[in-house]
Amino acid sequence: MSDGGSGRSAPSRTEPNGDPEANPSSPVRAARSTSSSPPRDATSGIFGPCTTKAYPQGPAELAGMGARTPWHDPGVCGGTGACARACPTEAITIEGTGRGARLRLDYGACVFCRKCVDACPTGAMRAVRFFELAVRSKDDLVASHVAGGTLAASAAPSRDKVSREIRERISRLFSGSLAVRAVDAGSCNGCEVEVSALSWPAYDAERLGIHFVASPRHADALLVTGPVNRNMRLALQKTLDATPDPKFLVIAGACGISGGPFRRSKEVEGGVPPSDLPSVWVPGCPPRPEALLYAFWLALGRVEQQLKNGELPPKVGGSSLR
Amino acid sequence: MSEGAPDHGSETPLPTATRSQGGRTAPPPRSQVDGPGARDERKWVAAARGGLTLEELEEGPWEVVVALERWRPSVLSLVHALRFRLATLWGENAHDGDVEVHGIFLGGAECRGVHLRVDLPGAARKLPSLLPDLPTALYFERELSEMFGVTILASPDTRPLLLHERHTAPPMLPAGGEPTGVRAPFGFARTEGEGVYEIPVGPVHAGVIEPGHFRFQVRGEEILNLEVRLGYTHKGTERLFEGLEPSQATILAESISGDMSVAGATAYALAVEDALRVPVPPAAQSTRGLLLELERAAFLMGDVAGIILDVGYAAGAAEANVLREQAYGALELLTGSRLGRGTVVPGGLARPVPTEARAEVERSLEGVRRGLAGLIDHVHDQPSIMDRLRGTGVISLEVAEALGLVGPAARASGLDRDVRRDRPYGPYAHERVRVRVASRSEGDVEGRFEVKVAEVLEACRLARHFLGEGGSTSGSPIPSRSAQTRHGLGIVESPRGEFLVALRASEQGKRVLTRVHVRDPSFLNWPAIEYAVRGNIVPDFPLCNKSLNLSYSGFDR
Repeated sequence: MSDGGSGRSAPSRTEPNGDPEANPSSPVRAARSTSSSPPRDATSGIFGPCTTKAYPQGPAELAGMGARTPWHDPGVCGGTGACARACPTEAITIEGTGRGARLRLDYGACVFCRKCVDACPTGAMRAVRFFELAVRSKDDLVASHVAGGTLAASAAPSRDKVSREIRERISRLFSGSLAVRAVDAGSCNGCEVEVSALSWPAYDAERLGIHFVASPRHADALLVTGPVNRNMRLALQKTLDATPDPKFLVIAGACGISGGPFRRSKEVEGGVPPSDLPSVWVPGCPPRPEALLYAFWLALGRVEQQLKNGELPPKVGGSSLR
Repeated sequence: MSEGAPDHGSETPLPTATRSQGGRTAPPPRSQVDGPGARDERKWVAAARGGLTLEELEEGPWEVVVALERWRPSVLSLVHALRFRLATLWGENAHDGDVEVHGIFLGGAECRGVHLRVDLPGAARKLPSLLPDLPTALYFERELSEMFGVTILASPDTRPLLLHERHTAPPMLPAGGEPTGVRAPFGFARTEGEGVYEIPVGPVHAGVIEPGHFRFQVRGEEILNLEVRLGYTHKGTERLFEGLEPSQATILAESISGDMSVAGATAYALAVEDALRVPVPPAAQSTRGLLLELERAAFLMGDVAGIILDVGYAAGAAEANVLREQAYGALELLTGSRLGRGTVVPGGLARPVPTEARAEVERSLEGVRRGLAGLIDHVHDQPSIMDRLRGTGVISLEVAEALGLVGPAARASGLDRDVRRDRPYGPYAHERVRVRVASRSEGDVEGRFEVKVAEVLEACRLARHFLGEGGSTSGSPIPSRSAQTRHGLGIVESPRGEFLVALRASEQGKRVLTRVHVRDPSFLNWPAIEYAVRGNIVPDFPLCNKSLNLSYSGFDR
């Protein structure tokens, strides 16, 4: 406490593209003035400049091989079925072989391992940079293609079943402040890493009015992860019942949507059972923190749904898919 | 600290080492561990007549089959006379309805593995308990009992471990059995007396945490006893491996404990490579080393952040999480997955890591190292933080040894074990790689905090070493068939400690997995929390918990 920080080296964090002043509510900044230590400036103390990322108010900062999503181009697909055989979770299934084979790609079962991309002999299966995969209806997670066909042929309107009235009501009630209760219904804890990350300075969901609460009695929404194993089913139901109406669900990760890697186990229900509650489904294994932020904003009606009928938007990662 | 805590009424006198198996009452499980105290080796050698000798092990094959009546003396002589430790026990279905029980014991100068097997004939399936003489065996025996229908003879605790009331038929037997039916409610230990009350917590906890149930017995603020009931995240994962080709199952190994995906995938890959004799290119091994150490840095930064947060210092925790994000960012740069998934596979790597990311990863590592050094200087200057850590949640060396703890929790209690150094594998088998193992003797939260800080710094150093090695190619193909069918063993020092995978593959037209057993470090370490909190106050429970950071999913699978 005595030396006031002299002689300590500053962490050499490189500042991402964002403007450090753009986020006045960052906990790191706030800490600088309330810490019991004498105030430090950005270069002499432990507290460096703001590292909160701009997304979703600004563009996502994605580097390296990050945020890759498998994308299937029916035009060059030879219908070999190599992708389906390589897939560990049956997210890709194929009927028939060669041109004319029917291929089904379910982003709700995908674990994003990219084995299909490595296995594809024709380059029809590609990894594209995209993570805004959350949808309001599970049907919108499934693409249905004919090998040798065109994307235009498989394009169809969104299968979003949530009515405009409900969407507007959720937006009106919760977009100022959303209290979320996280429930792990038997996950591998990978999703928990990313859900926790929403509270780290890098993602800081509270700056968006989204905060995690300790009791379902305080919650507006439940964030459910895991394949819902039999030992957790009752606890999940009780937590759901304890959450006051009106409420909605955010179901995150391949396990919660489809059972993911555990879908064949007798010990799991294979995902969150269908309910009448408005829901947002977030693919990923686990979904990255930005994908979770997108899902919350989608639920709150602040952004448009990108994935429609299993098809990514025509422009992805700055390049055209077609 | 646990010595000073008043024990609740149902505790029985400490068992002695030579106590006969028959006629024991059934004390609660943890009471054994306080026990043996001074171990008299000569007594053990005498008691273990009929047990194994070192000569027998050195001459014998890798898998030593012992007769049923020699099981208990063999194990006890291995552990108490030859100083091996029990790493895992698992069951396997043999032909004609028999159940084989396998055990891996580690010890000796090179931490060599001894593999014991005992066969239980189909009809009876009875096994004498290793308790009270080997407390580590308790959870393994309870799991054998519920999963394979093995009757553990003279066991002090026959309650289910992972299966809850609605399960009946042993799910690992060939017939499987739907998990239906209702069995007797789980009996928690009770405490009676003036002013004693009970706090049930969970399975749904207050934070972003996995589910589990804690039953505290409390007087005033002081925790008299804690009992943990798990199994809420049981997914039947071991069974799911069966019948898969080795290359299909990586995602399951990564999903044992998702926050240690790289360690899980590596232990699984090593086991497959061991069973099928697959050579791995040195460059791929060294890239595995890089990913393992990055994962360790990211994971343990989370523990450092959690401990700082749970003493109420949110700003310091935020700073630690800034550094944690940098480590996950580096993993993503290399693998495309923030948790490092989909890259380590049997035979090597699924795909090379991009060489152009090297400079950025190097910068992140330096950022984490310098940032953590600065943060820790600052934290050490705050008496209000350090006072909460010191003397809180003590796990004594005796308890750590009796429970067979692994990882940072063991090292903070003076058990200096780390398989990176003691039993070098894959990336660490090279003589140029020297792991400096941090250890402390206090066994309290401060000890674990300091060990974890030192391990982040060492992980950064090792990651930079592996980065400098070059590394990165993909891997060797897995032979689709080979004449031999044998067990494969993979042991990796994960961020929580020794992560073990034992598996067997066999030929059924093509090479498939027939049994995969996974022992997450948390399987050994969970009982430690019950000791750590005794005599502590309830508000310090989160601190004890965070300092151990046990995996629910790793335990339950």
